[in-house]
Amino acid sequence: MITLAEELILLAIEDDGAISYTAGAPGFTPALVSAYLVELSTIGRIDADLSTLRVLSSKPTGLPAEDQVLETLAAGPSQSIDAWLQQLQPQSPSLLKLSLGLLVSRGILAPKDASFMWVLHSRRYPVVDGREQKEAKLRILGTLLGTDVPTPHDSALLGLARAAQLLEGFLSSAEILRLEERISLVGGIDLYVKAAEAAIRAESTLRATAFMSPMF
Amino acid sequence: MNASIEILPNMTCIRPAGRLDFEAAATFQTQVDQAIAESVKRSAPVVMDCNGLEYVSSAGLRVFLVAARSAKAGSVAFIVCSLTPSVKEVFDVSGFGRIIDVQADFATATAKITGA
Repeated sequence: MITLAEELILLAIEDDGAISYTAGAPGFTPALVSAYLVELSTIGRIDADLSTLRVLSSKPTGLPAEDQVLETLAAGPSQSIDAWLQQLQPQSPSLLKLSLGLLVSRGILAPKDASFMWVLHSRRYPVVDGREQKEAKLRILGTLLGTDVPTPHDSALLGLARAAQLLEGFLSSAEILRLEERISLVGGIDLYVKAAEAAIRAESTLRATAFMSPMF
Repeated sequence: MNASIEILPNMTCIRPAGRLDFEAAATFQTQVDQAIAESVKRSAPVVMDCNGLEYVSSAGLRVFLVAARSAKAGSVAFIVCSLTPSVKEVFDVSGFGRIIDVQADFATATAKITGA
């Protein structure tokens, strides 16, 4: 069973195995952290309202990244989803590494060392047969093109993919524009996803403000 | 929390009361699933009267989403009404209010069903 975070990571992997967020999509980190929270919530380890995220059980899930998040949550203060998203984001490189490792161990990804100009080395993660990646895309398309009320999982996946700007990887700008109303309606009907969207909006505003501010 | 389910001639009314959090969600989900399945059999709309619902968490919200999904799949109307201010705030922030038909009170919800 692929987790929500794993699906998000698969959507971020490009044809050559590079992870698209490293190219600068600013929403990926909060979206990824939010995906771990949604997963922990779905399996009953945490619950939250508008003011507080609570740990219901710190029993390990068996998923390395989710367990790292759960351990941090259990050891930390009682605070809102927003605050936890901020606090957990610095852990995203190690969380991503753990999730990538799990995808590799399941045979979904095959790590490959690549170099650019014989100097710059990077690790890439080409998908092995692309089935899981394709399924995630098809589920998003099914949610977008259908008229049904989505499952909580599919709604979260769509909302997080939109927040992380991953829809652009398989939908054209014109298609996204055409589907915008449906995306807004059914994507991310969830407090954790909404918190990620708010964090991304705040970060974008901050960047825009910094960009527009005169230097002198 | 507790919930009552009333089978009326022209609708099914579900009345949750108390706190709908993760601990309560599974039991409530089962009750709601059964109520919607019965409603689908007789093509009767479902009204979720939340007048007594004091609190809803993220896990509780999923019950509403799954209920709306089941009702739509069964082609019966699903209306939520009488949200308390704190529950309404959670609905608004999460975006539930946009996908679920939310009415101010039970009278408005039933009027919508009967077309009055």
